[in-house]
Amino acid sequence: MAQAALTIDGLSVDFEGFKAVNGVSMIVEDGELRVLLGANGAGKTTLMDLISGKTKSTGGRVFVHDTEITNWEEHKIARAGIGRKFQIPSVFKELTVRRNLEVASCKNPGVFANLGFGFSAKAKIDEVLELIGLTEEAGQVAAYLSHGQTQWLELGLLITQDPKIILLDEPTAGMTQAETHKTSLIVNNLKGRHTIIVVEHDMAFVREIAERITVLHLGQVLAEGSVAEIENDPKVRAAYLGSKGIT
Amino acid sequence: MLEVLFIGLSLGSILLLVALGLAITYGAMGVINMAHGEMVMVGAYVTVLSGLWFGTDIFIAIPLAFIVTALLGLLIERVVVRKLYGRLLDTLLATWGIAILIQQAVRLEFGLSFLGIHIQGLGPGLQNVSVPDILQGTFRFAGADINRYRAFIILVTAMLAIATWFVIYRTVAGTQVRAIIRNPKMAAACGIDVTRVNALTFAFGSGLAGVAGVMMSGFKTVFPDMGTSMVVDGFLVVVMGGVGSLLGSVLSAGILGEINGLVAAATNDILARAVVFGVVIAIIVLKPKGLFALKGR
Amino acid sequence: MMSKRRIDWAIYAAFIVLIMLVPLIMDSFWLNRLAKYLVFGMLGIAVALSWGYAGILNLGQGLFFGAGAYMLAMSLKLASSTSLQQGSDKPVPDFMLWNAEPGAKTELCCINKASFLWLPFQSQWFGVAMGLILPVAIAFVLGSIVFRKRIAGVFVSIITLALVLLVRLVMIDAQPVTNGFNGLTDLGWFKLGGFEFDPYVVPTYYLIAVSLSVVLIAARLLVETRAGVILQAIRDDQNRARYLGFDVPAYQTFFFAVSALIAGFAGMLYVIVSEFASPTFMDLSFSITMVVWAAVGGRASILGACIGAILINMISATVSETEGFAEAWKAIIGLIFVLVVLYMPRGIAGLAHDLIDRFITRRPSTPAPAVRVNDPSSQPAE
Repeated sequence: MAQAALTIDGLSVDFEGFKAVNGVSMIVEDGELRVLLGANGAGKTTLMDLISGKTKSTGGRVFVHDTEITNWEEHKIARAGIGRKFQIPSVFKELTVRRNLEVASCKNPGVFANLGFGFSAKAKIDEVLELIGLTEEAGQVAAYLSHGQTQWLELGLLITQDPKIILLDEPTAGMTQAETHKTSLIVNNLKGRHTIIVVEHDMAFVREIAERITVLHLGQVLAEGSVAEIENDPKVRAAYLGSKGIT
Repeated sequence: MLEVLFIGLSLGSILLLVALGLAITYGAMGVINMAHGEMVMVGAYVTVLSGLWFGTDIFIAIPLAFIVTALLGLLIERVVVRKLYGRLLDTLLATWGIAILIQQAVRLEFGLSFLGIHIQGLGPGLQNVSVPDILQGTFRFAGADINRYRAFIILVTAMLAIATWFVIYRTVAGTQVRAIIRNPKMAAACGIDVTRVNALTFAFGSGLAGVAGVMMSGFKTVFPDMGTSMVVDGFLVVVMGGVGSLLGSVLSAGILGEINGLVAAATNDILARAVVFGVVIAIIVLKPKGLFALKGR
Repeated sequence: MMSKRRIDWAIYAAFIVLIMLVPLIMDSFWLNRLAKYLVFGMLGIAVALSWGYAGILNLGQGLFFGAGAYMLAMSLKLASSTSLQQGSDKPVPDFMLWNAEPGAKTELCCINKASFLWLPFQSQWFGVAMGLILPVAIAFVLGSIVFRKRIAGVFVSIITLALVLLVRLVMIDAQPVTNGFNGLTDLGWFKLGGFEFDPYVVPTYYLIAVSLSVVLIAARLLVETRAGVILQAIRDDQNRARYLGFDVPAYQTFFFAVSALIAGFAGMLYVIVSEFASPTFMDLSFSITMVVWAAVGGRASILGACIGAILINMISATVSETEGFAEAWKAIIGLIFVLVVLYMPRGIAGLAHDLIDRFITRRPSTPAPAVRVNDPSSQPAE
C-alpha cells in the first residue's frame, strides 16, 4: 500500500455553534487524485480552508506525510507542501504571465534570501507554459487573460510551485465545455506527480479525472469509494443526489 | 465633574456633527471625501456672508448652508467622485485636490481678488460670527454652569442624528441607500437607480457638513483652512465606530469627545488630542472593522 | 535594438547627469533651493516604493521624514554657536536656557527634566545614526503589528495618518525638549572630515545630488530583485502570494521600513540644506503633498515620482516669484491633482512609458506591451 500523503484526523470547526466541518477523517495516498463531492454547505470548501490554514480548526489534526501542520500559518503550510487553487481565480494581475510563474517558482519564503536578481527556473517555466497552453501569452500582463486562461495560469502557478499536495477548488467554475475539457487534460497530466484533491460539481469533469471520491454531507464524511461505488451508494443517493442519481 | 463631562459631551457632539455626513458618504458610497472639511468651512462662510449681507442670524443660516453645501456636493459628485467609484484611495486623493481648490477659492475670493474686487467676508482673513443673545452665556443645570451655545450644539447634533437615522432607516430612499451599502450591484439589479441615489446621498452628506459649519462658526474663528483638521477627526470617528454603522459613529464620537474632555481637563488640549489619536489607532489595530461593524459579508 | 528596460536605465542615467551638471548654470541661491527639491524627490521615491510597489498608501510619511530631520537637527543644534551663549564649552540649546526655571543648573544633563535625552547628540554621528535607525525602528514595529494583523488598504492609511498627527502633537507638547511649535532653528553646519557643509555652497548641493542618485539607483535595483517582484505580486494579490508560501507581512514590513529609511535620510538631508526642523514636517498636508508629487510623477515609477516632486516644486518656486500668484498656484496644483487622478492615474511616467512603447513598436517583431492603468489602490479594503 502506498504511503499516506495527507492524513486528516477528526477535523472540526465550530463557527459560533455551527459545525461546518464535524469530525472529518480521511487519508489521501501519495499520487492519488481525490474528488470531494457534496451539496452546497456540505463543508467542502471549509475543509480546504482548514487544510490550507485559511480557517483555524477547533478540533482534530492534519498531517502532510509525517508532519503535523494543524493550524499553522498559511505560508508555512504552503511550504510544507500544500498548494491551493481558489474558486475565484487569483493571479498577479499586473505582472506578466511569465513573471507570475517566476514568482511561483521561487523556493525561498523570506525577504532577505530574495534580495538577489533573476529567477533560475526558465526551463521549468517554459514547460509549464506549454502545459497550460499560454506560451504565446508569456509576455502579456495577466489582467488581459480570458477567464479560462486565468484559471489555467493559476493552475500553472501551482504546478510551478510544485507542492506535494494540490487542492483545487472548482477548477472548472465558469468554464465552457471546451475549456473544461482542456482543464481535465491538465489535471490528468498532473496525476501521479502530485497528490490532488478536487472539489467539483461538474460530473462530466469528475468522470474524466476521478479515481476515488469522498462525499461530504452536513460537515461529515458520508461515503468514500470509486466513481461507480459512489454513484450506486444508496446513502449518497438519498442524502445528496436525490432519488434520480447522478446526472 | 459634571461640567467636564458636559464639555466632553459637547466635544463629542461637534465630532459627530462632522462625522455624520462622512458616515453617510463613506459608509454608503465608499468615498473618502477629504473635501468634507471644506464643506464645513463653506457652511461657516455661509453664516458669515448671510450675516453680513442680509443681517440674518445663525438660525436662518442652518437651512441656507445645508442647501448651498448640498448643491456643492452634488456638483462634486457629478464632476469628480462619480468617475472614481470603487477606487477608494483615489477618491481620497482627488477630493484632497478639491479641498485645496475650495480653500483657495474662498481665500482668493473666487479669483476676483486678482481683479481688485473684494467680497466682504471672504479672503484669507479671519471672520467671526456673533451669536444671538439667547445662545450667549450660561445657565445652571443640576448644580453646574452650562454654556448655552454648547447646549445648543448638543441639541442640534442630536436632532440631526435623529433626522439622519430617520432618513436612512425609515424612508424608501434610506432603504435604497442601505441596500447600496450592502451590495451596490445587487441593488442596481433590483432596479435602484444607484447613480441617482449616490448623488443624492453625497449631497445629503455634504449638506450635513454645511450645517456643522454653521454650528462651528458660532464658537470658532472662521478661516479658509479651518476644515482640514476636522475631516481627519471625522474620519477617525467613522472608522472607529465601524464603517456603515450610524450608531457606531454616534457612540465613538461620544467616547472620543469624553476622552478628549477628560484628558484636557487633567492635562492640556494638545495632549488630549494626542490621546484621542492614540485611542483610535489602538482600536483600528485591535478591531480593524470598528467597534460596531456591519455583520455579514 | 534597445529593450524597454535599457531605455529606462538610459533615462535614469540622463537624469543623474542632468542634476550633476546643474551647478554649472545656477547661482547659489537657486542651487540651495534645488537641493531642497532634490530632497523632496527622494521623498517621492519613498512614496512610490510603498504606494506603487507595495500597495501601501502611507499618509504619514512625514513621520519618518520628521524623525530623520529631528535626530540630525538635535546634533546640529548642539554644534551651533547659539548653543554656546553662556560662554562655557558645554553646549545647551538656547531655547532651553530661555525657558529654564530659575536656579536650574544650566547644563544639558539637568536643565530640565528631559534634557538629558540630548546628551548623546553632542556627537554628530549619533544624530546621523539615530536619523536612520529611528524611522526604520518605528516602521518595523508599526509594520509588524499592522501587517501581521492583515490590516490593509485605507485602514493602513488612516493608522499612519493618525500616528503622524499624534507624534506631531507630542512633539509640540514636549516643548522643553523640542522647542514645540518653533522647532529647532539656528542649526550648525553638518561636518564631514574637516569640511563644513554651508547650505549655499556647491559641495553641499553635490552631497544631496549624489545621495539622491544613490537612493534612486538602489531603489530601482531593489524593486528588480526577486524580493521586489514578489512584493509586486503581494500588492496584486496578497492571498495568492501567501498560499504560494511567501511570508507576506515580512515583505510588507521590509519594504515599508526601506521606504521609512529613505524618508528619514531625506529628512536629514533637508535639515542640512534648510537649517531647521519643525513640527510642520509632520503636518497632514505635507504627508499628503508628498503623495501628490508621487501621483503626478507616476506612483508606480521610482524615477517618475522623484521627477514629479522636483518638477512641482520647481514650478511652484518659479511661479511664486510673481507677487500674489503663490495662492493661485496652490489652486492650480489642486486642480492638476484632480485631473491627474481622474485622467492620468499613472502620472508623467505613464505618459512617458506610452511614448516609449509607441517608439519601440514602430519597429517590427516586437509585440506591443499592453498599456494599462496600474492601480493597486483600487483593491478592496479587505
